[in-house]
Amino acid sequence: MNESTNKVLPGLPGSAAKMRPDVSPTVSATASPATSLRSPAAVSLASRLLMVSVLLLLLIAPFVLPQALVNAAIQMLIAALFATAFNVLAGQGGMLSFGHAAYFGIGAFATLHAMNALGGAGLLPTPLLPIFGALGGCLLGLVAGWFSTQRSGVYFSMITLALAELLHALAPHLTSVFGGEAGVSSMRMPAWGLSFGEPMHVYYLTLAWVLASLGALFFFTRTPLGRLTLGLRENAMRLKFLGYDVHAARVMVFMISASFAGVAGGLLAMNNEAGNYVLFDVRLSSEVVLNAYIGGTGVFFGPALGAAVMTFFGYAVSDLTRSWLLYQGLIFVVVMMFMPNGLSGVVLWWQRSQRSSAVLARYAAGWSLGALACAAAVVFSVELLQRVLGSDYQSQLVDAQPWPAITLFGRDWLPGAVSTWLLPLLLLVAGGLILNRVTRAWDALNEEEAA
Amino acid sequence: MSAVNSIHPVSTSPAALTLRNVSKSFGEAHIIRGVDLELQRGERHAFIGPNGAGKSTLFHLISGNFKPSAGEILLGELPIGGLSPERINRMGLARSFQITNIFPRLSVFENLRLGVMQRFGMQYTLWRPISQYRKVTALAEQLLEQVRLVRHRDTLGGELSYSEQRSLEIGMTLASDPKVLLLDEPMAGMSREETDYTAELLRELSVGRSLMIVEHDMDVVFSLCDRISVLVYGQVVATGTPEEIRNNAQVQEAYLGKEVAA
Repeated sequence: MNESTNKVLPGLPGSAAKMRPDVSPTVSATASPATSLRSPAAVSLASRLLMVSVLLLLLIAPFVLPQALVNAAIQMLIAALFATAFNVLAGQGGMLSFGHAAYFGIGAFATLHAMNALGGAGLLPTPLLPIFGALGGCLLGLVAGWFSTQRSGVYFSMITLALAELLHALAPHLTSVFGGEAGVSSMRMPAWGLSFGEPMHVYYLTLAWVLASLGALFFFTRTPLGRLTLGLRENAMRLKFLGYDVHAARVMVFMISASFAGVAGGLLAMNNEAGNYVLFDVRLSSEVVLNAYIGGTGVFFGPALGAAVMTFFGYAVSDLTRSWLLYQGLIFVVVMMFMPNGLSGVVLWWQRSQRSSAVLARYAAGWSLGALACAAAVVFSVELLQRVLGSDYQSQLVDAQPWPAITLFGRDWLPGAVSTWLLPLLLLVAGGLILNRVTRAWDALNEEEAA
Repeated sequence: MSAVNSIHPVSTSPAALTLRNVSKSFGEAHIIRGVDLELQRGERHAFIGPNGAGKSTLFHLISGNFKPSAGEILLGELPIGGLSPERINRMGLARSFQITNIFPRLSVFENLRLGVMQRFGMQYTLWRPISQYRKVTALAEQLLEQVRLVRHRDTLGGELSYSEQRSLEIGMTLASDPKVLLLDEPMAGMSREETDYTAELLRELSVGRSLMIVEHDMDVVFSLCDRISVLVYGQVVATGTPEEIRNNAQVQEAYLGKEVAA
C-alpha cells in the first residue's frame, strides 16, 4: 500500500482512496465508434505514432519515474480501465450507470478472496487472479443488468444507483464476505519467478491487464454486438422492429461493462492487498462518471484519458490543497459547458479542422492563456477564502484589530485590503477579455471563410 | 434466406397476412373497429383514408407495437397478434415508420448494416469483427445502391435531408429481407422524381413479397398497388382494385372526392 495515496483523496479511506490514475496521453484519437472518423492518412499515421509513443512511455515509466509516481501511474491505469469499461455502457450503449462502484467493488472482493483461497499457486497463479474480478463483475452485472435494463433513461440510472447503494449498505453487515468494517486483506504471492513485492512488478502486472482489457474492449466495438450497442444508444425502439431482442442485448452489454469494471477492481485489490466496503461508495460511482465525461464519451480512449488526467490531478493537487474536490467539480462544470465532447473532443477538433496546425495552435494557446488567467484568479480566491474562513484563522481574530496577513504562494496578503482582491479581479477580467477576443477572432475567421 | 430479389411465388393457399375482426380501443376511444382483410401473397395493397382513420394504428397492431383489443392477426398461418415486435420481425414482417425512425448518429451504411446483421442471427456475436462478414457488408452495400444513398455512405443518418432519410428508412425496412413489408407513408416529403424512383423501387422489390402501404400520394397508390382498402373511422369501407375504388361512390364521398376525381 502506498501511504501517499491515502492522503490524496481525503475522505476516502484506505483502498478506495487510491483510485487515481493515469496515463496521460493515452488517448488520442483513434477510434470513435460513435461517429466514424474519416481522417486522411496523415492523421491516422499521427494517431498511430501517438499510440505507439504512449505505449513506449508506459513501458519505460517505472525506470524513469520516482516511486511515488509509479504508484500514481498504477492508479491512473486502473482508473483508465474502469472509465473505459463504464463507457461501454454509458457512452456506447447509452445507459448511464450511477452505480458502477458495485461492479468495481465486487471485482476487488472476488480477487481478494481468490488470492486468499488459491494462494497464488496452481493453475491460477497471482498474475491471473484479476480474472476473478471479471467473473464477479460479470455475475453481478448479469443480475443487476437484468433488472436495471428493464427500464431506460433516468429510471435505468436510478435503479443502478439504488442497487449500488443497497450493496454499500449491506456490505458492512455481511462480515463473512466483505469482512465488515475492517474489510478483507490478502497477500500477493510470488509466481512465475516474480515476487510481486516491488512496485515495478505490480506496475507491469497492472499495465498488462489494462492494455489487454482495453484491447479487448476496443475489439468489442468492432464486433456485431459492439455495433448493436451503438444502436441501443441511438434508437432502441427501432432495433426491436429490426428483429433484435433489446433487453437481452442490453443485459449483455451491461455484463461486459461490469466484467471489465470488475477487472479494474481486481487490479486495485491486488495493488492494495486489501479492500473494504468503502469500495462500494457512491463517490467511486460518481467519479467514474465525471472522469468519463471529462475525457469525452464519444471517443474510445476519451474516458481513459479523462480518468488518467483526473487521477493525476488528484495525485498532484490533493496534497497541496484541501479544496481539490472543489477544483475537480469546477473542472467538470467548465468542461461540460465549454467542451461538451470532453478532452478528447479537442483532439478530434484539431484533427478534423481544415486549418493548419499553426493557426490551430495559435488559437489554442490564446484560449489556454485566457483560461489559465481565470483559473489563477479562481484558485487564488478559493485558497485565500478557505484560509480566511478556516477556524484556525478565525480564532486569531481580535475585535477592532485589522485582520492579520495570510501567507499564500510565498507572499503575505491582507484579507482586509482591497488591493489583495484586486489581483484576482484583474486576472479574471484579463482572462475573460483574452477568451472573448480569441473567440471573436475565431468566429470571424470562420465567417470569413463561409462568406 | 432469399436474396433481395427473388422469384415471384405462385402460391394460392393461405394469405400472406390475414386480419380477422381486429379492433383496438384506447379507453373509450375505439380507433380500429373490426377490420377484416386478406393480404395475398405477392400483392401490393394500399391503405388510404382521411387523417385519424387509424391507418398507422393498424400498422402498429400488425407490427407488434400495440396489442389488439380483439380479433386475430395471422402471418401466413401463424397468429402474431400481441407478439413482440422483434418476434414478428423475425417471422418475416418488417415495417417502416411514418415519422422517420433511424439511428441518427450512425452512418448511413451502419444504419443499413444493423438491419442486415439481424438476418444472420449475429445479435450476440463478439468474437469476430463485423468487417469479416463479407456477406453482411455486400448486402448493406447493395441496399445502399438500391435506395440511392451510395454517396452518403458515411454521412450520419441524422445529417441526411428529409427525403433521403425516408429512403434510408425504406432501406432499413428491407434489410431483414421480409416476406411482408409494411410501409407507412414512405414517400412523404419526397420530390416528384424521388417519389417516382421510389415507386419503381418498391415495384421491383415487392416482387416475391407482399406489400402493405399507407400513402397519401394517390398517383403512387393507384399505379403501384393491386388493391386498395379505404379506412374511415377505424373501419374498412371498401376494398378493391384501383378501378373499383375510383368508381366507388361511397369512397368518393368519404374521402377521395377532390383528389382523385381531378
